Amino acid sequence: MDFFDRFAIPHPSLAIYASMVAIVLTVIAIVVGLTYFKKWGYLWREWLTTVDHKRIGIMYLISALLMLFRGGVDALMMRAQLAVPENTLLDAQHYNEVFTTHGVVMILFMAMPFIMALMNFVVPLQIGARDVAFPRLNALSFWLFFFGAMLFNISFVVGGSPDAGWTSYFPLAGNEFSTSVGTNYYMIAIQIAGIGTLMTGINFITTILKMRAPGMTLMKMPMFTWSSLIANVIIVFAFPVLTVALAMGTLDRLFGTHFFTTNNGGMDMLWANLFWVWGHPEVYILILPAFGIYSEVISTFARRNLYGYKSMVASMVIISLLSFLVWVHHFFTMGQGALTNSIFSITTMAIAVPTGVKIFNWLFTLYKGKIEITTPMLYALLFIPLFTIGGVTGVMLGMSAADYQYHNTMFLVAHFHMVIIPGVVFAMLAGLTYYWPKMFGFMLNERIGKITAWTIGISTLVAFMPMFFTGLDGQARRMYTYSESTGFGPLNMVSFVGAIGLAIGFILLVYNVYYSIRYASRDISADPWDARTLEWATHSPVPEYNFAIVPHVKSEEALWDAKKKRHILFQGNYEKIHMPNNSGVPFIMGSIFFIWGFALVFSLWPLAIIATIGILACMAHRSMEIDHGRYISVKEIEETETKLRGAK
Amino acid sequence: MKIDHSLPLEYSTEENRLKILGFWIFLGAEIMLFGTLFASYFTLVDRIGSGPSGKEIFEITPVLIETIVLLTSSFTIGLGVHAMRIGRKKAMMSFFVITLLLGLVFLGVEIFEFIHYVHIGAGLQTSAFTAILLSTLGTHGLHVTFGLFWGLFILLQVKKRGLTPETANKSFIFSLYWHFLDVVWIFIFSFVYLKGMM
Amino acid sequence: MKELFPMKQILGFVFSLLLTVIALAVYFLDMSFSTGMTILLATAFIQAAVQLVVFMHAGETKDKGAIYTNVYYGVFIALATVFGTLLTMIWGYN
Ligand code: HEM
Ligand SMILES: [Cu+2]
Repeated sequence: MDFFDRFAIPHPSLAIYASMVAIVLTVIAIVVGLTYFKKWGYLWREWLTTVDHKRIGIMYLISALLMLFRGGVDALMMRAQLAVPENTLLDAQHYNEVFTTHGVVMILFMAMPFIMALMNFVVPLQIGARDVAFPRLNALSFWLFFFGAMLFNISFVVGGSPDAGWTSYFPLAGNEFSTSVGTNYYMIAIQIAGIGTLMTGINFITTILKMRAPGMTLMKMPMFTWSSLIANVIIVFAFPVLTVALAMGTLDRLFGTHFFTTNNGGMDMLWANLFWVWGHPEVYILILPAFGIYSEVISTFARRNLYGYKSMVASMVIISLLSFLVWVHHFFTMGQGALTNSIFSITTMAIAVPTGVKIFNWLFTLYKGKIEITTPMLYALLFIPLFTIGGVTGVMLGMSAADYQYHNTMFLVAHFHMVIIPGVVFAMLAGLTYYWPKMFGFMLNERIGKITAWTIGISTLVAFMPMFFTGLDGQARRMYTYSESTGFGPLNMVSFVGAIGLAIGFILLVYNVYYSIRYASRDISADPWDARTLEWATHSPVPEYNFAIVPHVKSEEALWDAKKKRHILFQGNYEKIHMPNNSGVPFIMGSIFFIWGFALVFSLWPLAIIATIGILACMAHRSMEIDHGRYISVKEIEETETKLRGAK
Repeated sequence: MKIDHSLPLEYSTEENRLKILGFWIFLGAEIMLFGTLFASYFTLVDRIGSGPSGKEIFEITPVLIETIVLLTSSFTIGLGVHAMRIGRKKAMMSFFVITLLLGLVFLGVEIFEFIHYVHIGAGLQTSAFTAILLSTLGTHGLHVTFGLFWGLFILLQVKKRGLTPETANKSFIFSLYWHFLDVVWIFIFSFVYLKGMM
Repeated sequence: MKELFPMKQILGFVFSLLLTVIALAVYFLDMSFSTGMTILLATAFIQAAVQLVVFMHAGETKDKGAIYTNVYYGVFIALATVFGTLLTMIWGYN
């Protein structure tokens, strides 16, 4: 029996047992459903083995929405617990677990895949390519992310969740103070997902540099593609740092090394240092593609070309370098002295400048534009003022002397939520709404969409503005309760109301999807928003080869100029198209990684060794394999094109 | 597949060119990976707890052997790629075999060195210094080990399928990897060993 | 036989052996820490450049720009990380 004891939850509660039941029931339902409707083959052929960037994008999207739900439930629990003083909904241990998983899930398993979803779907279309540079690798990236996320999530019901914060600072995260396997999950699940992300980075840089349509020079690339390029550059150079830090943390926890311990020379501060060497660039990995989406949306619905294209590009390049030079602002209070703090204080404030440049560029684009308020545009317009609040408070935090006052209070929590929610989440919702017709061939309902946007926008303010005040009054973050005499009660109640508002917003979003699936017209054009860039020049939904004829680009806004200046995008006749074959190996390799991770979490060495061999075997197989892809014949292209044109 | 005969075989198709650029970007990530290890190494190098310091455990002889062997292997694989470009399959394979054998010698010496460290009480768990020392060396060593198997697989393919755009491309990429490991070793040699023994 | 041993590569190899010997001076000769470090920094980075240009053919295709940018970018950030880390983990406390 001893063997099985380790899988038990050390600190169980009703909610956890309920989730176990729910998970088991859901899995049974899915299995029964797939079997009953005979969909296993379909699932395997069309999705699990796909290497099509569009389908992979959609799978990222679904995962991101699921994780948004999971992270959102965590958030609601926290806000409910804090809504009144001395609440007993959650005890200290559960509160610790909840804020830890909330942070990890939201940043790594919600925001990241959401961005990956849009990048995967949009970038190849925007540059007129048939797929990404390495489609098979792309599938592997997805499955590594997916199984990493799944591994992290099962910690809730098998062995116990991590509880040392999403930053997992040592020595708290070391064996001495975190005795459950929770933090092992943290180290290993993020490692697996992180490797996937790194490969995406390599893949997309290569794609964007080498696979643009003829005529599309770098300075004619749409802004979202530019932002993706820069974000991927940051990924490639930032994620290895995380890889090393997590590996060292894993060695400490599983093999008793002394990297981050407090004895035998170990240095706990080094973890914080490495974590933020990755962590700060990571926030820019999240925000840059979001900025890209806003640029597309704003210029489309202001019916103007983007103001200051070159300065937009320049500011992103500068951000990509500066983002690696500011990390110490996350631990000004650690004691490294005034000189070091001053240096990083200055670089931190410097990074606000290019960010500010971008805000002004959007404002100038809007100015004199013929603004049309659609749902994506509404998100963009809500973003500008709300994000500015987050940015300005960031600069406040960036002043090292002042940060001694703000650090680790609710003021900080308010700051990063005011940048991440309006910055990243609104952008993703805008992108989702904007690209939905391209993905699925029908539009989301505009009326419900706008109600959702307003609900989420207002609720964000209601939920997070009060935290600036309680934070300045001294309410610390990550505390599971407070006494009545602090006077934090009323404002925390307001926050709770805002959190409920956000939950309602999420429900409205889901309802909108349901409603639109049922009622929306399928008879839409390929370019329903009257947009400006290439992705709107092909059919909705997009055929697997993206463009029947490779487009020729002459300007920054290829489609707009094709519409207004009669540039000709598609010349010549159909030719047979080379496409990559589907493959089950990425999925299988992802599953083996899952087993490998699980084995490491519980120190099941024989299993870990077998899984390692399995992974290597997959690689060997890939090395020896001969796969020249396949061709789509001219006849097939003609048939598809006529069919899609008929359907419009 | 369109083959451009004006370019060396390894660059001759679009897919090949993508792979080579992609691999360079991967090497960019590797620079950062080892950069982080070095940053950690310099931070922890003096934190020896109750264990030995670098000066006490480093020895010049094995390090010199490792350095010379790896430098030479980097040279021979360079010759291998050159032979490949002038279409000399046999010569190319010989150079690759020599490279891998030299890699094997390197690995043997390194394993010997590790056993020695553990023997004299500088194991993974001794101190922060030994942990980061063995992890940095170990990461490089694992790369070499991986490279040995990878190289072997490529050799088998060249033998079986001849010099095709695919096999040439794989061989060239492998040579990039191998040279890169040599560069990393130079830094380990200079800033771990020589600095430590200075 | 001769065409298998191009001059460029042989010179590159000899040069890298030479650099190794120079670097070894810090071990065999007696010198101050800063002189030693200067020598090591110089030999290591030159050695890396030799590998990059002579053996790895970094500059032989149209992608030269991308490849060099990539390497410089990586080196710059790696150096920033190393020195920034030293600043915050060690020097900042002195
Ligand atoms: C205007 C530019 C920005 C500046 C000057 C800035 C500054 C700061 C500073 C100084 C801190 C640390 C405060 C402390 O711990 O006491 C911080 C924390 C944080 N910032 Fe920002 N920030 C900016 C933009 C952003 C953006 C765009 C994002 C994300 C998209 C973001 C996400 C975060 C997160 C997640 C944390 C807290 C992490 C934690 O401790 O858990 N920031 N910011
Ligand atoms: Cu930051």
